[in-house]
Amino acid sequence: MLAIISAATLLGAEGRPVSVEVHVSNGLPAFSVVGLPDEACRESRDRVRAALLSSGQVWPAKRITVNLAPSGVRKTGSGLDLAMAVGVLVASEALEPASVAALAFLGELGLDGSIRRVPGIVPLVDALGDRVAVVPPGCVGEARLVARGAVRHATSLAELVRAARDEVPWPEEDETPATPDEDFGPDLADVRGHVVGRLAVEVAAAGGHHLLLIGPPGAGKTMLAQRMPSLLPPLDRATALSATMIHSAAGLPLPGGLVRRPPLRMPHHTASLVAMVGGGTATMRPGEVSIAHGGVLFLDELGEFQPAVLDGLRQPLEEGVVRVTRARGSVEFPSRFQLVAAMNPCPCGAASKPGACQCGDALRTRYLRRVSGPLLDRFDLRLEVGRPEVDELLGAPEGESSAVVAARVDAARRLAAERHGDTNSAIPGHRLDELAPLSKAARALLRREVETDRLSGRGLHRVRRVARTLADLRGGPDEIDEESISTALHLRIDPFDPARRAA
Amino acid sequence: MSRGGLPQEAYAAALAGLDQMTPRRLGLMTRSGEPLGRIWEGLASGRPARRGILARLAAAEPAALAAWEREAPTVDVAALWRRCAGDAVLILGHPGYPEVLERDPLPPAVLFARGEVGLLHELGRPAEPSGAEGAGRPDEVRPRERRTDRRRRSVAVVGTRNATAGGLEAAAALGRDLAAVGVSVVSGLAKGIDGAAHRGALAARGGAPPIGVVASGLDVVYPRQHAELWEEVSARGLLCTEAPPGTRPAAHRFPARNRILAALAELLVVVESRRKGGSLLTVTEAERRGLPIMAVPGSIRSPASEGSNLLLVDGATPVLELLDVVVALGLEDRPAVRRRRVDRRVPPDPGDRDLLELLGTDAVTLDTLVLRSGRAIGEVAVALGRLEAAGWLARSGAWFELTGAGRA
Repeated sequence: MLAIISAATLLGAEGRPVSVEVHVSNGLPAFSVVGLPDEACRESRDRVRAALLSSGQVWPAKRITVNLAPSGVRKTGSGLDLAMAVGVLVASEALEPASVAALAFLGELGLDGSIRRVPGIVPLVDALGDRVAVVPPGCVGEARLVARGAVRHATSLAELVRAARDEVPWPEEDETPATPDEDFGPDLADVRGHVVGRLAVEVAAAGGHHLLLIGPPGAGKTMLAQRMPSLLPPLDRATALSATMIHSAAGLPLPGGLVRRPPLRMPHHTASLVAMVGGGTATMRPGEVSIAHGGVLFLDELGEFQPAVLDGLRQPLEEGVVRVTRARGSVEFPSRFQLVAAMNPCPCGAASKPGACQCGDALRTRYLRRVSGPLLDRFDLRLEVGRPEVDELLGAPEGESSAVVAARVDAARRLAAERHGDTNSAIPGHRLDELAPLSKAARALLRREVETDRLSGRGLHRVRRVARTLADLRGGPDEIDEESISTALHLRIDPFDPARRAA
Repeated sequence: MSRGGLPQEAYAAALAGLDQMTPRRLGLMTRSGEPLGRIWEGLASGRPARRGILARLAAAEPAALAAWEREAPTVDVAALWRRCAGDAVLILGHPGYPEVLERDPLPPAVLFARGEVGLLHELGRPAEPSGAEGAGRPDEVRPRERRTDRRRRSVAVVGTRNATAGGLEAAAALGRDLAAVGVSVVSGLAKGIDGAAHRGALAARGGAPPIGVVASGLDVVYPRQHAELWEEVSARGLLCTEAPPGTRPAAHRFPARNRILAALAELLVVVESRRKGGSLLTVTEAERRGLPIMAVPGSIRSPASEGSNLLLVDGATPVLELLDVVVALGLEDRPAVRRRRVDRRVPPDPGDRDLLELLGTDAVTLDTLVLRSGRAIGEVAVALGRLEAAGWLARSGAWFELTGAGRA
C-alpha cells in the first residue's frame, strides 16, 4: 500500500516542500530510500525502524520503498525521519490515511522513539504552506513565526500516534512565550578615553559605513566593535524574517523568536571560506556573512584571515547576497551586513606612532599587504585606536550611553532615508554633488588633501559620504562644511601613508 | 679562453663580485702588483697556481679559493664591465685611488663611484695618531684649526629609518645648513634620517656637493622610493659603493657600507637612533677611526631617540644647533654661518596657539588633543588642519608632531 506524507527539507536558508512516499509490498523484507537523500537522510532507515519498534509498533516484514519527491532536490539531514516513520505506519495500515492527510511532519527520531529538534524549523515550516505542522518539542514558538496553519508538537512517536488516532488530545503548548530580545549588548558608556573611536562607531552606525580599527593589542578595538549593535535601530520586518530564517537554518538558538536586534558575529581568524560565506558538502549551511545579515560582522585580526576568505567577502559586500554554487546546485543567502574589522598596525603592534615601530619597512608593508587593496578600500572609516593613557582613562568624563547615541543615529538614518532612500554609505558617486554639496572652505580643504597625495580620487568620495553622515548627526544641514570634512578626514587615515614611508 | 682587451677595472669588478670575497682578501690581490686579469684567468682556468698571490691565498684560504675557482668560469666579465659603463672604478693600490681611503684601516679594495669622482680626492683629515682609543669624547673634539689647504670638509649625518617628524626636520635642517656652509654631507641614502639629510643638502642653493655611500650595486636602487634622490645625489655630488653592479642590498652589506661612510667623513652626527639601530654600527666604525661623534638629543619618551640619547650619556657632543657642528669643524668664521633663518610662518591665532601648546616634544593623537583641550572633535580637527597648512605641525596617520621653522 502507498502512503504520501508531507514534509520539508532545507536548501540553504530556504525550505523546500517534500512528499515522502512510502510503498509497502510483498517481497523479501527490505527498506530502501530513494530520491537523492544525503548520508544522514539514508541513515534514517535504521532510526525509523528502531523508533517504530521502541514505540510498540509492528515493523512490517515486507518490502518497503521510500521515495523522497521531488527527486531532483537534494534532501539533507535527519528532519525527514518523522515523516518516514508516519509513512511506514500509514502504508502498513497501522494509521488511517485520513488522520494524517492535513498534517506535515518535521523532526528527527531517537532510537527510543523520541522526537528531536532539527535546524531550520523556521524555513521548513515556511515551506509547508497551510498544512498543520507537527514539530519537535521546543520548536512551536519558532514555527508559529511563519506558520500559516496550526502548529502541533509531540515528544515521542508513540504520543504522536495516539494523538493522530484521536485517542488523546495533542499535547498542550507548555512553552514559555518568546521573550522579545531586549539584550542590547555592552553599553557605549563604558568606553572611556576613545573620543575618536566613539565618534567612529557612531558614524558607522548612522551611515552604514564599514569600519576598520587599526591599533596595538589591548587598545580597545574589540570593545568598540562590540558596542556597535547597541547603536543600530531594530531590524525592519522583512530583514528580521530573513535573518530569523538564516539563524534557524544555521541551527542557532532563537530565544527571542524573531531576530529583531541586529546580530553581531565575530568569527575567529582561522575561519574557513565555507564557514565564512556558506556552503559545505553535506548541507548548504549559511556562513557567518549571512548570519550577520542585518547586523555587524566583526573580523578581529583582519590580517590573519586567509586571503581567500577575505576575497570571499567581496561579493556579499558588493551585492548583499552570497551565491554558493556546488555541483549539486546553487543557493543564495542574503548577507547585507556592516563590516567592522580590527588589525594591528604592524607585526610588533607597538604603534604607528612616529618613530616607535621596531619592524622593518619591508615587514610592515608585507603585513599590511595581507589585506588586499580593494578590501581596504571598502572601509569608509579607517582609524587608529591608540592605548589611552592612564590619566585619560581616569580623568575622562563618562561618555554618553548607547541609548543617547542610538537616538542620534536613528535621527540621522531617517534624514538619509528621506534624502535618497538608503544609508549615506550607498550614495552613488555621481549624486554626491547633489546630495552632499560642499561649502567653499570644505572644497578648499579637500583640494589640499588631494594635491598633497594624501587622498585618492576614490578616497575623496568616501570622505564626502562620511562627512554627509557627520552633518546628518548634527541635524543635517544641506551643505557640508569644513568641520565635517575635516573630521571625516581624521576618520579615514591611510595605513600605507606615503608621507610616512617616503622621507 | 682569452679575455683580452678588457681593462684592469673590469677584472676588479669581477673579482669584487665573487662570493666570499672580502675587502681584505681583495685588497691583498689589488696590492700584490700582479695584473688583475692574470689573477682572474688563474681562477677561471682552475689550474692550481704555483706562485704569486693565488698560491699564497690557496695556502691561507683554501675553501674560499676553491669556491672562487668554481664560480669564476660562470662569470661573464665583459657583460659585467658593460654594466660599469659611465662609472669610475677605483682600485686600491692602483693609481687614482683616493688618499682618504688609502689611509683607512680597512679600505674598500674596489670602489665604484658615480658623479663627481674628484670629490674623493679633495677629502681627507690631517693624519692623526691612528687607533686613538676613546676618540669622540667631548674633550677630544678638535679645537678650531686654521687651515690653509683647500680640503673639502665633510660630515656624516646618519640615523634611524623610522624617524619622527622632529628627527626628519632636524636632519634636513642640518643637511641644508651644512651644505650652505660648504660642508659635504655624507650619508647612506636610507629611508628616514639619511634621506632627509641629503634632501636638505640638495635643497641648499649652491651648497656643497653631497656624498652618498650605498650598500648595493650602483644600478640597484635601494630603497626604491629614493630613486629620485639617488639620481640627484649622483648628478650633483657623488654616489659610491663597494659592491659591483647588480649586487642586491643584502643585510651584511650595510655594516660594511657604514665603515666607508665613517672613512669619508671627518665628523659623525647621529640625529635619531634606536637602542639597537644600525647607525650605532656607524658610530663604532667612526670611533675606530677616531672621528668625533655628535648626537642630536631627543625626547626621553621617544624610542627613536633611545640610541642617540645613550650616545650623549657615553660622551658624544650634543648638537643643539648648527653652530655646534660648525664649531666642532672649526668653521664658525665662514660667512654663511651667520645668516640666521627667519621664521616666515603666519603666527597662529590665540585659540590655535592653546592647542599647539598641548603638543609637547612627543607625538600625540587626536584623542589626546581632544581630551586635553576639552573641545569638540570637529573644532579640534579644523584647527589642526589650519595649523598643519601653516606649517606648525606635521600629521602622520593619526599622530601629530610639532615642527620647527626649518622643515625642508
